[in-house]
Amino acid sequence: MLDNPQNVLVRVDGLKMHFPIYAGILRRQVGTVKAVDGLTFEIFDGETLGLVGESGCGKSTAGRAILRLYDPTEGKLEIEGRDISTIKGDALRNLRPKMQMIFQDPQACLNPRMTVGSIIAEPLDEHQAMSKEERQARVLELMDQVGLNRDFAGRYPHEFSGGQRQRIGIARALALNPKFIVCDEPIAALDVSIQAQVVNLLEDLQERLGLTYLFISHDLSMVRHLATRVAVMYLGRIVELAPREALYDRPKHPYTEALLSAVPNPDPETEADRKRIILQGDVPSPANPPKGCNFCTRCPKVMDICRTETPAFRHYGNGHHAACHLLEGA
Amino acid sequence: MPDGARGRSEPILEVNDLKTIFRTRDGEVHAVNDVSFAVKPGELLGVVGESGSGKSVTMMSLMGLLPMPPAEIVKGEIRYDGRDVRAMSPAELRDLRGGDVGFVFQDPMTSLNPVFTVGYQIVEPLRVHLGLSKKAARVRAAELLALVGIPDATARLRDYPHQFSGGMRQRVMIAIALACDPKVLIADEPTTALDVTIQAQIIELVKDLREKLGMAIIWITHDLGVVAGIADRVMVMYGGQIVEHGPVRELFARPQHPYTRALLETVPRVDGTRDARLRSIEGQPPNLAAHPASCPFAARCGHVMDRCLRENPARRDVGAGHDVACFWDPATGGLRDAG
Repeated sequence: MLDNPQNVLVRVDGLKMHFPIYAGILRRQVGTVKAVDGLTFEIFDGETLGLVGESGCGKSTAGRAILRLYDPTEGKLEIEGRDISTIKGDALRNLRPKMQMIFQDPQACLNPRMTVGSIIAEPLDEHQAMSKEERQARVLELMDQVGLNRDFAGRYPHEFSGGQRQRIGIARALALNPKFIVCDEPIAALDVSIQAQVVNLLEDLQERLGLTYLFISHDLSMVRHLATRVAVMYLGRIVELAPREALYDRPKHPYTEALLSAVPNPDPETEADRKRIILQGDVPSPANPPKGCNFCTRCPKVMDICRTETPAFRHYGNGHHAACHLLEGA
Repeated sequence: MPDGARGRSEPILEVNDLKTIFRTRDGEVHAVNDVSFAVKPGELLGVVGESGSGKSVTMMSLMGLLPMPPAEIVKGEIRYDGRDVRAMSPAELRDLRGGDVGFVFQDPMTSLNPVFTVGYQIVEPLRVHLGLSKKAARVRAAELLALVGIPDATARLRDYPHQFSGGMRQRVMIAIALACDPKVLIADEPTTALDVTIQAQIIELVKDLREKLGMAIIWITHDLGVVAGIADRVMVMYGGQIVEHGPVRELFARPQHPYTRALLETVPRVDGTRDARLRSIEGQPPNLAAHPASCPFAARCGHVMDRCLRENPARRDVGAGHDVACFWDPATGGLRDAG
């Protein structure tokens, strides 16, 4: 699928997204939630970068910050070589058509009082001067593209099933011919048999329209199916980033190993005596992350150095990046 | 029934031809249609199905947890330890629930009461069902929290639900369900709201507890991977019916129903081969507005035949404790012999 793998579409450099905590009657700032704490990666033109992690690891915040739905605390964001980390107002608005988002909950992200046709047409009204006829033609074209029946343009979201609602969300994201789409858990709310339909649609659209995806998900098996490269996040940082095969066959970071071993496989023969790495405890709070490596409180291979020094995110060849003290000596 | 034939011990819970409907303004919804199954002591039965397949409604019907109306159990027999559950008085039913039958629900935040301490909520069933004194119940509650792997159990009895993480809350729910030494534990998607690493912890915990306490468990899930790892037998539900049922290895090795087969093919895996394209099941789950006169899966089935549209197939035995409700025979690719 990659025509030119070196063509960088999105560049993220040291991205931090911190949220202040206010407390007391004077609403003074008493702390900071470090939701995203220093991300550095690139997304190549035409690829699907999978971003996986458990809830609360900051993957959705990262996706939203990259689209500039937040103002990043620190760091640089580039899309097609243009720095977008601090632009505001009209300059940012003019960029919006290029980068779009598909949300997790198709029930919550569609206005229940608008018809499907007007939901899909809304971005066209906002960003393009189209005649009524042109607009209607484009809406129907988009509905065809995502496999929705044209006759249903006048219906309301509640008349559709979850999978169809997700298609409406996809059609809306496609309306302005974006290059880059952040998919934030687009299949998490869907039934297994419907998930495959939506994933196949996303793949078809990517091939046809040359889209680039940042696919945020907690479903490691689906990301393995969809992504060309995968980044694993833990507590606001990327612990490992590698091409798909390398990450799933030869994970370097202990967290990735544990995560992969925790996914149940639909096969009773191998499942019964599979050795699982069971992580102890819970993810620490991002308002109070541990000193040193973020994973040091749960890591089965923890060393003394992990509790004092933050491991650097390094390149270990063949596009395989990781941040772990275990790898430093090797 | 196919279940009765296997094994020596008597089932602890037995359900025959259960049918539950909801009466709504838009007409009847046939949520559970002629469902029959049995669970023996110490056994783990996995129930697999999508949303709307009737798996939760079936389990809630069993213990009278559905609001009636709109729900109504139209027919069927429910036996717990030989006793007729449908004939029980509300007081007897209340004794059964939380006493001999424990429940764990999907979302631990909404099923725990936020204004009472966790200790209070574990002590309550102990005092009501077992008649323990306040002090004895408190001691037992701490034991239970320790049993489900919550550190510093005695101190944490004083904490409120919001002071626990998601995985810890689910452990508290399990502790409450286990409070009165249930003979049957019904777990409705207990790990669905949890992260995979926490899910792995809970699964290990339940496996462990089952060995220690020897209760029967009914585990409802939509995740075939979870079922493969823990269940002895699996029941696949679709459109309010049981479409396939069998021992876990047998069912995964030789799935008979086109729905089960498609489900197994459509799920990607983290190891093994990776398909270039996912096999999808086209179409939507059925509308349960009418009692199906045809196979509920017929509209989405790749092997649909004339007979499937005229008649709803009954479950029939295919050997090794495995049964399926389908006219299609995967061995011949044609009509299954009328048995």
